[in-house]
Amino acid sequence: MENIALKSIGINKYFSDSVKFQALKNISFEISKGEFVSIMGKSGCGKSTLLYILSTMDTDYEGKLEINGIEVTGKTQNELAYIRNSTIGFVFQFHYLLPDFTCLKNVMIPALKLGKYSYDEVESKAYEKLKMLGVEEQALKQASKLSGGQQQRIAIARALINDPAIIMGDEPTGNLDSKNTSIVFDILQNLSKEFGQTIVTVTHDDDFAHRSDRIIQMADGEITTGHH
Amino acid sequence: MRFNVNTEIALTYLSSRKKQTLVAAMGVTFGISMFIFLQSLMKGTNDYFEKSSFSSIPHIRIYNDNKVADFHLLNGYFKDSSVKILDNPKQLQQYQGLINPYGLVKEISKQPDVVAVTPQVTVNAFYNSGSVQLNGIVNGVDILAEDRMFDLTGYMLQGEVRNLLKVDNGIIIGKGIADKLSLHMYDNISITSATGGSKVMRIVGIYATTIKQIDETKSYVNISQAQSLLGKDRSYVTDIKVNIKEYNNAPSRARDLEAITGYKAEDWVQSNAQLKAAFKIRAVILNSVIGVILLVAGFGIYNILNMTIYEKIKEIAILKATGFPGKAVTSIFLQQAIYIGLLGAFTGIIIGFFITLMVSRIYIGAGSLKYLPMSFYIPHYIEAVTFGVLTTIAAGYFPARKAAKVDPVIIIRG
Repeated sequence: MENIALKSIGINKYFSDSVKFQALKNISFEISKGEFVSIMGKSGCGKSTLLYILSTMDTDYEGKLEINGIEVTGKTQNELAYIRNSTIGFVFQFHYLLPDFTCLKNVMIPALKLGKYSYDEVESKAYEKLKMLGVEEQALKQASKLSGGQQQRIAIARALINDPAIIMGDEPTGNLDSKNTSIVFDILQNLSKEFGQTIVTVTHDDDFAHRSDRIIQMADGEITTGHH
Repeated sequence: MRFNVNTEIALTYLSSRKKQTLVAAMGVTFGISMFIFLQSLMKGTNDYFEKSSFSSIPHIRIYNDNKVADFHLLNGYFKDSSVKILDNPKQLQQYQGLINPYGLVKEISKQPDVVAVTPQVTVNAFYNSGSVQLNGIVNGVDILAEDRMFDLTGYMLQGEVRNLLKVDNGIIIGKGIADKLSLHMYDNISITSATGGSKVMRIVGIYATTIKQIDETKSYVNISQAQSLLGKDRSYVTDIKVNIKEYNNAPSRARDLEAITGYKAEDWVQSNAQLKAAFKIRAVILNSVIGVILLVAGFGIYNILNMTIYEKIKEIAILKATGFPGKAVTSIFLQQAIYIGLLGAFTGIIIGFFITLMVSRIYIGAGSLKYLPMSFYIPHYIEAVTFGVLTTIAAGYFPARKAAKVDPVIIIRG
C-alpha cells in the first residue's frame, strides 16, 4: 500500500455541454512509486480528461482519487494548490513558460511559492536542474528567446524544482522533433530509474510509449489494457 | 532586496509593460493632482472669504437686545398660576447700552479661548458736507483693539489707524463716503446723530474694503466722541465684540457668554448664515468634481488590468497549475493595481503641488484680492494619496478576483 503513488477508484466524469456525455467510465487503477506509465488512446477517448483529474486541477468528477495514499477527493482548492505545488510536476505539450521572466526565474517560481528553501538555495537548485537538463547556458535568457526543445527542457526543469513525487506529462513530446523527443524521454526515464519519481504521461507517440514501463490503453472512456 | 514571490511577479509584469503601467499611473496622477489643486483652491478661497468676512464682523457680538413685554409683572401681582394673555405686547422702553460694560469686558477677557475683546458705541448718523447728506453708521471704538481684531491697517488707503489717537476729533471714513461727499484727507466733515447731536470731525484716514456697502456707510471715531455725539456718559457702550481662538466654536462659546453676561450674544453663524451655506455648497461642488476625476482614473486602471488578465490568461492558468492558489493570483494582480496607484499618487502630489504654486501666482487684482487664494495644507496631500490608493484598490479588486477564478483546465486544454 505504501508503494502506491496514484490510485483511482471508480472515477466517472460527465460533460454536459448540450447533452450529457460520459467521458470516463468507472476508471480504477493503481500506479506504483517509481513507475513510468504512458496513457494511450485515440483522440477523445478521455485520456487527457483523466490526466487532469489525476493532476487535481479538475475536481468535477465522481469516485475517489488517492495520491501517496492520501485521499485528495473533496479537498479545498487551496489544499489542492499546495498538493500540486509540493508533490506534482507538470510538463505540457506547449511549454507555457512565463515570457516576461528569465528561464531561471521560470524554474524558480514554484519553489519560491513553496517557500521551503531560501531564495539562494532555490537559485542553486534551479541551476542544478537546468544543468541536469543541459540548458544551464540559457538560464539568464528570456524564455521567449529559446528554441522549442530548449523551452520544453526548461519546462521540465520547472516541473522538477520541488522534487515532486509524481511528474505528469500531457503529450510532453507532442511538439518536438525526434531528436528532442528522445532527449526528453531519456530525461524522464532517468528520473524514474535513478530518483524513483513516478511518471504519468499521455502520449500519441508509439515509440515513446513502448519504451516506458507500462502502457494504459484507453478507448471510449474506459481502460482496455494495462490496469495492472 | 528579496521580495515575496507574488510581489516579484507583480513587479515583473509591471516593468515588462512600462508604457501601459505609465498610462494607468498617469490617470491616477491626473486625478490626484487635480484633487490637490482643487482642494487647495477651495481652502484658499474659503480662508480668504472667512478672513474678509471676519474683517468686518466679530466672532461674537454682545448687545442689549430689545425686549418685548411679557406677563411676569402680572404673575407678581396676582400671585397665582392662572394663564395670562397679553394682548398686543409692545417693545419695552429701556436703556440701550450695557450696564457696567468695562466690568463685563474684564470678565469676558478672563474666559478661556477669548483672544480679543473690545467695546463699541454704534451711532446711526448722517454725514454732511455742504448740502449733501449721507446716511451711515459711526463706530466709536478703541482703535488699537479694533485694528488687532480686524486688521484695519490692511485696508487703509490713506492715513493710518494711529492718527485717531493723535487727533481726538479724528474720523476714519470709507472710500465710498469720501467719493460721494468729495472729501479728502484732513477735510472737515459734519456728523449728525439720529438723536440730534452734532459734531464736526476731521478726516485722518480713508479705508477701502472689498464690500462697497461698508465703504459707503461705516466710519470709525474714538469711543468718547461717539458717546458725546449721542449725549451719553463715558460708561455708555452698545456692543462688546469678542474674538475667540477657533471661530467654529463661536455658537457654543456665545451661549457661555450669554450665561455670564446676561445679555444677548450673537455668533457669526447666526448673523451670517449665507457664509456657512456658501462654504457647504462649494464643498459639494468640489467633492463631486473630485469624485468624477477619481472615478475616471479608477476605470482606467480597471480597463488596463482587465486587458492584462485577458492577455495573461495562459500564464495565470500555469501559475495555478504549478500550485498558486486563487488568493495568490488575486494578490499578484491587486498588487499591480496598488503599485500603479502609489506611483500615480507620488507623481500626483508633486504635480499637484506645482499646479497649486503656479496658480497661486495668477494675478487677479479685484479689490483687496491680488492673487488667487491658494492654501498649502499638508492634510490635503495625505487625503489625496489615501483616496487615490483606495480608488486603485477598488478598481483592481474586480479584475484580480476574475484572475483568481481562471480555471486552468479549460485554458490549458484549449
